[in-house]
Amino acid sequence: MVIDIPFIWTALKEIIKALPLTLMLTVIPLIVGFFIGLVVALIRVYEVKGLSAVADGYVSFLRGTPIIMHIMLIYFGLPMLLQAAAPKLAISSIPVSVFVLTALSLSAGAYLSEVIRSGIISIPKGQAEAAYSVGMSTFQMMVRIILPQALSQSIPNFTNIFIGFLHTTSIAFIVSEKELTGAAKIVASNNLKFLEAYIAAGIIYWVVTILVESISLLLEKKATSYARGGVR
Amino acid sequence: MIYLHGIKKAFGNHEVLKGINLTIEKGKVVTILGPSGSGKTTLLRCINFLEKPDEGIVQVGDVKVEAAKANKKEILSLRKQSAMVFQHYNLFAHKTVLGNVMEGLIVAKKMNKEEARERSEQVLEKVGLLDKLNYFPSQLSGGQQQRVGIARALALNPEVILFDEPTSALDPELVGEVLAVIKDIADEGITMLIVTHEMNFARDVSDQVLFMDGGLIIEKGSPYEIFTKPKEERTRKFLKRISGETSVSWLQETAH
Repeated sequence: MVIDIPFIWTALKEIIKALPLTLMLTVIPLIVGFFIGLVVALIRVYEVKGLSAVADGYVSFLRGTPIIMHIMLIYFGLPMLLQAAAPKLAISSIPVSVFVLTALSLSAGAYLSEVIRSGIISIPKGQAEAAYSVGMSTFQMMVRIILPQALSQSIPNFTNIFIGFLHTTSIAFIVSEKELTGAAKIVASNNLKFLEAYIAAGIIYWVVTILVESISLLLEKKATSYARGGVR
Repeated sequence: MIYLHGIKKAFGNHEVLKGINLTIEKGKVVTILGPSGSGKTTLLRCINFLEKPDEGIVQVGDVKVEAAKANKKEILSLRKQSAMVFQHYNLFAHKTVLGNVMEGLIVAKKMNKEEARERSEQVLEKVGLLDKLNYFPSQLSGGQQQRVGIARALALNPEVILFDEPTSALDPELVGEVLAVIKDIADEGITMLIVTHEMNFARDVSDQVLFMDGGLIIEKGSPYEIFTKPKEERTRKFLKRISGETSVSWLQETAH
């Protein structure tokens, strides 16, 4: 068996059509997850009574189980729940992506909450004290002083999570989502050229990752210039 | 003016403040001296509730708060009566010099941007930093950072400015510039409460000196009384240990 190098290009042109779906499966859960993560992180930082235990359990369970499991649980479990809650709902009409997006958002929320929490607790206590001393409320202190610093410093960690989730979307093909890996599988088995198809998919993942990394680097430089002595 | 009554504060089993009563009149400059661990800093932090007293009454200006039943709203309005200068400056790291001073005016005082900018530039001129408006704290020396800290407090035009060992973290050659700025604003008649280890400075600038030890105010009086003829044994011992030379040079100066 020889490797059919020109076919890699043919496969790539076919597989790249699935890139928008992969990007959607990455970006939407991360945006939703960011807000879940922010709320969960604040609950845990301030040890809000009652909610704190729920937040701890959420993070522990979702970080303690594989993401493929979350997709399975939501894909098979959520319809049952919905059936019980609203028997008249036509569950079969809900697109599969909704379940995948739900599952990935919940996972992203758990991982991002830890990124945000570590960002918040890395900011010296003196920053909050100074904010209080000039008469700010706790909310103003969080929004104006702590979060801007915590989030800028967390950019490398956000990028890590982004790249992780970009690659994790590949498991969505097990519930028949035709994202990059799913598309590669179809091209591969239709043409019986497995190696070439997966090389093509790999190249796409890699290029997207490199792009994301360089954007992140630029953002990081800009957002944390205050700490490195660059005049604005 | 400041009025404190029966302030008590414990960290776990360790009682740091054992009942502090204190009245400071408007426009007075008061320094607090005392060995480390005597509760000076904790007392200062109780005045703006960065430390919540276990018991007692704190009044700054028109706002009176009973520690045991203080709610968030009361604490917020109490904090708006004062401003603080910190040992480690605590400038907002992501804001420029100008941004640091404007922040409290815009967010807490609801001043409009133009007005806040004008006021900020005015106080930054006073501390000699008008040429550093767009610098970040990370680009400034310790002395410059602390002068920004003072400008940030001054801009708020508070009833009282609380100074928590403002020169303790500075290189020795930078202490002078910061003390000079504090002395300048002391002369303007702003009420100030200063925790410091700079004996010469305390002597020069204060209207009243308090000596604290073991969570209590042991002695208070004019700088002359405290530095030259302290009544309490503990005050005498402390002064002898920390600044034997200070009182001698004071005597020599007044003799001339």
